[in-house]
Amino acid sequence: MTEEDKQSPVKEPSVFPWLQTALDMWLKMAKATPPSPDNALGTPTAIQNRFTKQLDTNLNLLKSFSRMMSEPESAPAMANSFIALPEILFKISKSGFDAALQIQNHLIDKAGKIGKSTEAYKFDNLDQEVFEALNNVYEKELRQYFKIPPLGPARFYQERFNEMLDKYNLFETMLAEFLSVLYLPVEKSFKVFQEKLQQMAEEGNLPKETKESYAIWIKILEGHYINLFKSREYTDVLHRMLSQLEDFIIIRNKTMEDFLQLFPIVTDQDVDDLYKEFYLLKKRVNKLEKQLDISPNTLTIVK
Amino acid sequence: MNSSKITLDLILERLAEDAEKAQQRVSKASEILQDQLSFELGQTPYEIVYEEDRVKVKHYSRNENAENKLKVPLLIVYALINRETMLDLQPDRSVVKTFLEGGIDLYMVDWGYPKRKDRFLTIDDHVNGYMNNIVDFIRKKNNIPQINLMGICMGGTFSVMYSALHPEKIKNLITTVTPSSFDTDKGLLHIWMKDLDVDRMVRTFGNIPGDLMNLGFLLLNPARLMIDKYVGFMENMDKKEFVENFVRMERWIFDSPDVPGETFRQFVEDCYKNNLLIQSKMFLDGKRIDLKKLTMPLLNFFGEYDHLVPPTACNQLSKAVGSGDVEDVNLETGHIGIYVSSKFQKLFAPKIVQWLKDRDKEDVAASKTDLARPAVRKKSAKEGKKFKIDKNGQSGTVQAI
Repeated sequence: MTEEDKQSPVKEPSVFPWLQTALDMWLKMAKATPPSPDNALGTPTAIQNRFTKQLDTNLNLLKSFSRMMSEPESAPAMANSFIALPEILFKISKSGFDAALQIQNHLIDKAGKIGKSTEAYKFDNLDQEVFEALNNVYEKELRQYFKIPPLGPARFYQERFNEMLDKYNLFETMLAEFLSVLYLPVEKSFKVFQEKLQQMAEEGNLPKETKESYAIWIKILEGHYINLFKSREYTDVLHRMLSQLEDFIIIRNKTMEDFLQLFPIVTDQDVDDLYKEFYLLKKRVNKLEKQLDISPNTLTIVK
Repeated sequence: MNSSKITLDLILERLAEDAEKAQQRVSKASEILQDQLSFELGQTPYEIVYEEDRVKVKHYSRNENAENKLKVPLLIVYALINRETMLDLQPDRSVVKTFLEGGIDLYMVDWGYPKRKDRFLTIDDHVNGYMNNIVDFIRKKNNIPQINLMGICMGGTFSVMYSALHPEKIKNLITTVTPSSFDTDKGLLHIWMKDLDVDRMVRTFGNIPGDLMNLGFLLLNPARLMIDKYVGFMENMDKKEFVENFVRMERWIFDSPDVPGETFRQFVEDCYKNNLLIQSKMFLDGKRIDLKKLTMPLLNFFGEYDHLVPPTACNQLSKAVGSGDVEDVNLETGHIGIYVSSKFQKLFAPKIVQWLKDRDKEDVAASKTDLARPAVRKKSAKEGKKFKIDKNGQSGTVQAI
């Protein structure tokens, strides 16, 4: 291939005709750049400024790539890449499908258990498989992305930001579980209420006023809540939810402090340190004042 | 299935019947809600006589024409949760007003709103710090060696601690809905607190947010506190007086200062988790709180239906103290009903006034005849009295303790 041929991408047969067209356009644009004031001075180095030089380099790199891909020996590799592309896309989407399938399976399982798990006034074995499934999906499929070790000087901040997102997601999942547990007594109370009304109807003793029916229902609901709140399961969910909330708040505050370091603003940690020193100092002064039997200077007697 | 369909139909029919009434009610309610409503709390006049950091002391002017005015002033210590305005909710439901009319010279602690700088304050700082300074201030102001002390809920627990550590400064002690024995599974708070990771909570929040605690209290009985209460409001919102009282109560309930973190940590660890107070094993600033040193007369109120501080958390105190003059009063109401229910207004505060007056008289008699202590004080705690008072005001000695 002659030097002229190498510089003329238009003449080359290419598997990327769109690339050829684009290259031509940008090369022409670069050459058509109007002369800068330096050019007017006629200095030889000013003819090609930094921009056009860089553009030239990049376009030539693309040209080489295009030429390489046009060589007959590259054909099998290129064919392979076309074959591999769907496979890569399939692998990427597979983990997503797996996750969706996992959720769906648990939902189907749960649907099969409807009615079996809502025993009135019992909260010993809460039906929380769906939340476990969601949590598993998050742990197995998504959480890993927040755990990828970041690199570079901003690594520390990136790591903390990722942790914040992770803790937020965990808290959201936990909150959903907690709210669903809180809703259980409502669900159960309606079932018991309906049974009670059925029984009353059969006995010909149906409440005449809406208020009476409401009073029956609210009493049933209250009873369910009392049973729920005393159960070990509820206490566990409550404490786990609080822990996740606290984890998130702690990391959110730390992330905020990282951000605030950019500004001349004191952080909560700085202020807390100062308050603690002040508190200890004040306590010491009070003790000394008592020892010396002098009136405490911290209190103000108004009258 | 047919019968359930009939049930639903009937319910819907009743609902339709009520619809017209509801429409009329809403129409009148809109007039009332747009009218000028009076829902201010704490209307009884007072003056601030002492200030230290965020803490203030209110002094109320008593009725100088009252019969048998008490010589010894009374200091009320409220809890760090919610505000002391509950005792002066409205003119016709005011414990403060009843005390003043009964001739009590009344002081009340206003704990204020803790800020971030208060997060390191411990129970010791509240009891041996603020409370002790306030008691000394009142003693000095009135030139007396002892004052009467009344504690409410957590403030009652602080008052028990204070009276055991400084018995020489307290003449009579009144505890109301005061938890002193925490090892019970009758109250949900007692169940939930057992497994609470309090260290992490304090690390996270610093001070424990009032809003978070409000949410916790609402969750103690969501059916009543989040549904039934507002259904009741909807049913009565065409009555101006009801609306005013309701709004006043709402304003009080959700006026929740944060609780200093270290105080909360110590309260949960030493009291809820380890139940040290009732065993006389709790320490403040290196000093053991020995309940046997609590030798002054004790009047101990609690609510039969209190879901926050159940009777079992309150009624152990009278057996644990060293005083021979103890009285338990079990009122058939809840945690707040003792102070704000119109029925118990006639029982609770007047009972305290009379109890204090009885001991004031004894003191006068004792000083006149140069007797050491009244006979009732020499009784052992086991011989103390226990009363149960129902909502109709019927009382009777239930059993000797």
